[in-house]
Parts: sequence; structure tokens; C-alpha cells
Amino acid sequence: MPDTIEKQLNWAMWLGFLLALGAVLSNVTFFANPPAQRVIPWLSLLLAVVALLFVAMGLWRVFAPPGIHRGRILISTLSLFSLLLVAAAIFTFVRARALPRSAGAPQVGEKAPGFTLADTTGRPVSLDQLFAPTADSAPGLPPKAVLLIFYRGYW
Amino acid sequence: MAISVDSPEVSRDLSKKAGYTFTILSDPNTEVIRRYDLLHVGGGPDGHDIARPAEFLVDSSRVVRWTNFTEDIRVRARAEKMLAAAKSLQ
Repeated sequence: MPDTIEKQLNWAMWLGFLLALGAVLSNVTFFANPPAQRVIPWLSLLLAVVALLFVAMGLWRVFAPPGIHRGRILISTLSLFSLLLVAAAIFTFVRARALPRSAGAPQVGEKAPGFTLADTTGRPVSLDQLFAPTADSAPGLPPKAVLLIFYRGYW
Repeated sequence: MAISVDSPEVSRDLSKKAGYTFTILSDPNTEVIRRYDLLHVGGGPDGHDIARPAEFLVDSSRVVRWTNFTEDIRVRARAEKMLAAAKSLQ
């Protein structure tokens, strides 16, 4: 009874699709700033690779045996979606990590280069000025340190 | 304090929206970003040059005491790590 086999759910294909979806959606978790965010890129990549294996398995199941099989259109469409999701996850992984080496950036123990730039009101502010006492600091107690955060912008 | 290529106006809107009270400086010409060797050529959404994410803790003698260079733009320095670095300076 080959008919009963063909009506069975192609679980490998569906699992592949869900894993591919998970690989892309795992990027949403970065907005929640989870403690384990360092492992999420690798988890996402792993999901994408495993998804690829299951999609291949699903395709093999439908197309490898000789003869006419049902569900080839559904399976082909699903595999195409899954492959697009996998490609998106891998593209995101590669793009997010394509950063300059910044070998010339100041290292621990080195002097931080000075600068003067405009603040949000357009007023010029220097690094030295950032060490001046602020409203937050106790009188006569200037900040002991300043945290410089360079960010990508375009918010 | 924070530095990006965003204009003072854009940073002001961000500051207001997010309720930030720290100083945000604008480096639209990437002058300081290049001085710190943090230029990400074509890294902006429209292909503009921007800063790669990086954090430096500088003490009052202008010496760098702690740094963080992420390998992935999705993974950022966590507030508790930065606070711990600041506290360790005492």
C-alpha cells in the first residue's frame, strides 16, 4: 500500500521549515538583550544548518523514490521558503560579524585620544569637559571615569 | 557618554524618546571615529561610513582602563558588565 506512505506527513520537511523560521526569528531575541546573547548568533547558525539537513531529507523522501508522488508542489514550495529563510539567517550572520578589526583603537593602559564634538544642543563638548563635576556628582568630586560608547547610529 | 554619526537633532530625539540623561555627541564627519580606528566603511543602512560598536572606560588621567569590541553587531556590551568595570576602578 504505497498510498498510505505518501499521505503521511513529510515531517522532515516541516521540521526543516520550522527550524529555518526559528533561525531567522532568533534575531528578535536580541532586542530583549538576554544575558546569553553571545551564543544566539551561533544558535541561529546551527538552526539554519540543521534546517538545511531536514529540508534535504524531506526532498529526498518525495523525489528520490521512482514513480508519481503526491504533494510535490507543496513540498517544493515549502522547501523554497525554508531555503530562503536559511539564506536570510546565514546572510544576517555574515553581515553582523563583518566588522573592522580596529587594531589601532586605544587599548587598556593607553591614552584615550582627546576630542571635541557637538552635543544634542549643538554645544561643543570635549573629553576633558566630561571629567568636570556634574549635577550628578557630589560637590568637589568630579567623575572618576567616563564611559565612551561608540554606536552605529541611524536610530 | 555616547558617540555616533547621527546629527545632534537625531540624537536629541533618541535621547528624549529613550529617556537618556547621558551626553550624546555627534561625529557626522567620522573624525573622532577614525581617530579611535572604529570606522566601519559602508556599514550604515544606506552605505554610509559609521562607527563599529565599541566601549571604552577612561579614567580621570585619560587612560583607558577597560574596553569592549563586539564581534557581532547584534551582541552588545551589557550594562552590568560596564558597571562592574567602573566599580573595579575604585
